[in-house]
Amino acid sequence: MRPDLLVIGAGLAGLSAALRATQAGLRVRIIAKGLGTLHWSTGNLDLLGYLPGAPHPVRKPMEAIYTLPESHPYARLGPERIGHCLSWWQKALGAAGLAYRPATPARSNWLLPSPAGAVRPTYLATEAQAGGDLSQAEPMLIVGFQGMRDFYPHLIAENLTRQGYAARAATLSLAVITRRQDSNTLHLAQELERPGRVQELAAALRPLVRPGERVGLPAILGLERHQAIWQGLATALDAPVFEIPTLPPSVPGIRLHRALTRHLEAQGVQIQVGLTAIGFQADRGRILAVETESSARPWRHQAEGFLLATGGILGGGFNSDPQGRFWEVVFNLPLTVPQDRNAWFRPHFLAPEGHPVFRGGLAVDGCFRPVDGHGTPLYQNLWAAGNLLAHVDAIQERSVEGLAVITGMAAAEALLA
Amino acid sequence: MKQQTTEILVIGGGSTGTGVAWDAALRGFQVILVEKRDLTHGTTGRYHGLLHSGGRYVVKDPRSAEECIRENRILRHTHAHCIEDTGGFFVVTPEDEGDYPDRFQEACARVGIPCTEIPVAEALRHEPLLNPRASRVFAVPDATADSFLATHATAQAARLAGAQIQVYHEVVALLVEGGEGARRVTGARVRDLIRDEEVIIHADMVINAAGAWAGQVAQLAGIPVHVIPGKGTMVAMNHRMVNTVLNRCKMPADGDIIVPIHTVAVLGTTDEKVSDPEHLRIEPWEVQLMLEEGEKLVPGISQARVLRAWAGVRPLYQEGFQGESRDVTRALTLLDHQQRDGVAGFLTITGGKWTTFRLMAEVTVDKACEQLGTRRPCTTAETPVPGVQQGHYWLGHRLSEVEEHHLQGELICECELVTRAMLEQAAAHNPTFTLDDLRRDVRLGMGPCQGGFCTYRAAAILHERSVTGKDDAQARPGDADAWDVAYIQSPAHQQTLPPPARLEGFQPNLLLRDFLQERWKGLVPILWGQQLKQERLDALIYLHLMNVDHLPVDGEASPLTDFYHLDPAQIGAEPGQPQASLAEGQALNERAGKEKNQEGQP
Repeated sequence: MRPDLLVIGAGLAGLSAALRATQAGLRVRIIAKGLGTLHWSTGNLDLLGYLPGAPHPVRKPMEAIYTLPESHPYARLGPERIGHCLSWWQKALGAAGLAYRPATPARSNWLLPSPAGAVRPTYLATEAQAGGDLSQAEPMLIVGFQGMRDFYPHLIAENLTRQGYAARAATLSLAVITRRQDSNTLHLAQELERPGRVQELAAALRPLVRPGERVGLPAILGLERHQAIWQGLATALDAPVFEIPTLPPSVPGIRLHRALTRHLEAQGVQIQVGLTAIGFQADRGRILAVETESSARPWRHQAEGFLLATGGILGGGFNSDPQGRFWEVVFNLPLTVPQDRNAWFRPHFLAPEGHPVFRGGLAVDGCFRPVDGHGTPLYQNLWAAGNLLAHVDAIQERSVEGLAVITGMAAAEALLA
Repeated sequence: MKQQTTEILVIGGGSTGTGVAWDAALRGFQVILVEKRDLTHGTTGRYHGLLHSGGRYVVKDPRSAEECIRENRILRHTHAHCIEDTGGFFVVTPEDEGDYPDRFQEACARVGIPCTEIPVAEALRHEPLLNPRASRVFAVPDATADSFLATHATAQAARLAGAQIQVYHEVVALLVEGGEGARRVTGARVRDLIRDEEVIIHADMVINAAGAWAGQVAQLAGIPVHVIPGKGTMVAMNHRMVNTVLNRCKMPADGDIIVPIHTVAVLGTTDEKVSDPEHLRIEPWEVQLMLEEGEKLVPGISQARVLRAWAGVRPLYQEGFQGESRDVTRALTLLDHQQRDGVAGFLTITGGKWTTFRLMAEVTVDKACEQLGTRRPCTTAETPVPGVQQGHYWLGHRLSEVEEHHLQGELICECELVTRAMLEQAAAHNPTFTLDDLRRDVRLGMGPCQGGFCTYRAAAILHERSVTGKDDAQARPGDADAWDVAYIQSPAHQQTLPPPARLEGFQPNLLLRDFLQERWKGLVPILWGQQLKQERLDALIYLHLMNVDHLPVDGEASPLTDFYHLDPAQIGAEPGQPQASLAEGQALNERAGKEKNQEGQP
C-alpha cells in the first residue's frame, strides 16, 4: 500500500507532521534511522527562551517573535499561526494521554529549575515539572539520591538560593528505590512502578519535608504509570511534588516519545525504526522513492509526497568532513552552512550569539519546500521541517521542541493545501 | 610577607623540575619546588606519551639517541607502573627513501639500541592495520608512558624524601645580589595564585627547570637564554588502532609517528618555531597533515573520528642556533650561569626529552653539588618511585578493577572509567582548583564525549563534598558503605602524605564553565562529522537542559578563569567580535595573552 506521505525521521518534527497529516486523512508512513532526540531533552516544549546575545530569558515569547530576523522560521509563520499550532498540539497530546500546561499569565514562559540550578525558560511544561514554577513563593526541598550519578540536589539548591529562590537540599539513599548498583534514570523510573515503592519512598521522604515546602525530585517518577505515581507520592506526603529533568536518558522525554508513537500507531501510522535513508529516485522534479540501506540491495519506499525531518547535525540529517564540506545526507540538498571551517565557530563555547555553523541548514520556501539558490523549489513533492531548517540555532535560543512541533505541523498543513 | 628558606629552589613542575626535586631530595638537600599552575601543566602534560628507544634520533642526533636508550632501560625499573611495554616498529613505507633503513640499522648497532628486523607478515600479525605495502619493519624497545602519572609519582618520591612541592606558585622575580661580575641569585619572589599573596623564598641555589618558559625565568635575572619554542601539534583518535608505537623509518619529519596511549592513538607531530609558549594556535593544515601522514602508516586512519587536537612546546636549546626547529638537537643542555654569565647560584636545565628527564636531573644536581662545594652521589637510577610494585601499566587495568568490584554504577566518566571514589580521592589529596587538574589526575573528560556527562557530575560532586563536609576519600573496598570502591591506579593515590588545606569559597559554576571552555579549545580544530554531532549533544546538555550559560556567577572569577581566556585571534573569531561580558556570566578578565589550544594528552 503506497502511502500518501512518507516521513523520514521519527523525532518530534516528523511525529508532529505525521500526526497532523493523519488527522487530515492522509495515509502516512514513518521511516527512521533511530528514535530522534526526545530521549535526551527535557520533555517540555521550549518555544523561545533567549534572543541572540540577550542575557535575560524571554518572558513573552509570542511578542518576542516580532523581533526575530525575517528569515527565522517563526518570523515567517507569525505568532497567530504559531499559537494555532501550539493549541492544536496541546490538544493532540491530551488525546494521547499527556497533559501539557501553559504558564500564567497567558502566552508567557515558565521559569523552571534546571538540573544545574539555573532558571530555564519553557513554554509548555509537563504537569509534573510545572510544580517547580519559580514565580511561586513556596520554598523548595530538592531531594537527590546518594549514588545517583545524574542528579545533584546541593548544586541545584545552592544556585537557586543564590538567585533569590528559597531552596534547600536533602539526600536519600538510592536503596530506597533500588538495590541495583548500575541504575540509570530509566531503570529508576521502572523500579518506582513496582508495587509499594511509592509508599516506601514517601515514608523515607516524610521526615525531611517541612510544612509549606514543595518537593523537587529527579524526573524518575514512573514511565507508564507516571500520573499515578506522581500524584500518589504527593498524596502520601501531603505536599506538592515536582520533577526536575536529569542528564540523559530523560524520562519525561521518553514518556513524550512513547505517547506520540503509540498515538500514531493507534491511528494506523506505521513507524519503522532502524532504516537508514541513503538515496532516492527522482524524475522531472518529483521524488519517486527514497532508498534505505539493507543487506542485499537498497530498499525502495515509494509515496506521493515526502517529508524530510532528519534533524540537523545532532539528529544526523547533516554530515561534514575535515575539508569543510557540509551536506544533507538523504537528497544532498544545498545547505546555507559556510563551506569554510574557519568560519564555523567562535572562540567561546558559551558565546552568547552561538556559533555560525549551527545557524546553517536547509533553506525552504513559504510552503516548507527545500529551494535552490534562486528560491525555486527543488522538487514539487518534497517538504522539510524541524531542526534541519536554516536561519535558526534552536539549542542556542532554546526553541528545540517548539521549532520541531511548529514547523512539523506547518509543513504538514502546507502539503495538505 | 611570608618568607621561606631552603637549600635548593626548583622552578617548574614538569618532568624535569620534579626530577630535579626528587634527585636533590634523595641527596639530602632541602628542596622547595614551585610551579605556576598544576604539575604537568606545561610541555610534560602535552606530549604524545612516547618512551623513546632512541631509534627516532639514531641517524640524525646520535647523542640524543644514546641518552634515550640508556634512560629507557632505567625508567622501565624506576617508573615501571607509568610505562606500558608496547614495543615500537620502524616501518619502511613505499615513500621512504632508499638507504635510510640500512643506515638506521647500522646506527642502532653503533649506539646500542636493540633493533631486530622482522618479516612484514609478522608485523602485520601484530598490527593488522599497518600498511600492507610496507617493505621492511624493524622492532625496537619503544614504549609508552603516562607522563601525568610519572610526574606525580616522581613528585611523591620527592615529597617522601623531604621536598616541598608548591603548585599554583608563580615566580614573579628572582632575588639577585652583588654588583656586575659578582652577581648571585639568592632566591625568588613567588606569587601564590590561590591565596593571592606573595612569598619570598631564600635559596642557596636556584634551578631553572621551566622548560619552554626557561628563557623568561632567566630574564628575571637579566640573563639571556634563547630557548627555541618548537610547537608540536598532535591529534587523538577515538580508538587505539594500534598497540605498538609506529614510526616511519626515515629522517624525522612531521606526522611520522602513531603512539597508542591508554584508550587512544595519538598522531604526531609537527615542529613549528613559535615566538611565545603561551600562544599556541592549531592551524587547520597541521591537523590535515597529521591525518594525511597517518594514512601512510595505517591506511584509513583519517576516516576515524578525531577526539581532539592539542599542541605542546618543546623547550629546544642550541647556543647560537639560527635554523629550523626540527634541526635543533634533542640532547639536554645544562647552562652553568656562573661560568657562562658570571651569575652564581643559578642553573638552567633545558632541551632534552621526557625520556631523559632523570638524566637531566642528575647532571643538574651534580653541577649544583659542585657549586655548593659538596660531593653527594646520584641514586635515582637505582631508586624506584612509589607504585612500581604494580608492574607495567596495561590497558585493561581500569576495566578489570571496575568489573572485579562491580563499579559500573560508580562511573562518573564512562569514557575513561573514572569512578566517584577516584575523583573524590584525587580532590582530597591534590590541590584541585579546576576540573582540568582532575583531568590530569584521573583522565576525567578525556574520552570521546569530551566532558559531555562528567563535567556536570564532577563539578556537582566536588560541590557536594564542600557543602556536606563529606570526605570518604579514604574509603576502601570492604567498608560498610555499599558505595565505596576499590582504589584504581591514578596519580591521585600516589599521595600518602596529609592532604593539602582545602580552599574556602568553592565555585562550582565557574569550575563547570571553565572546564567546558577548556575542552572546547581542543575540539574546535577537529569538529566535523561524528565528533561535531557529539558536540551538539554536549551543547544540548549544557545549554538546552542545564542552561549553564545563565548560571549565577555575579562577576566572580576563579584564580584560573583567565588561564582559559581566549582572544579573538582564535580560530573562527571575527574581528570586532565583542567578547562576552560579565553579565553573560563569562567571568573573563581583561588580561590578554593567555594560553590557547593547549592541553595534555587527549
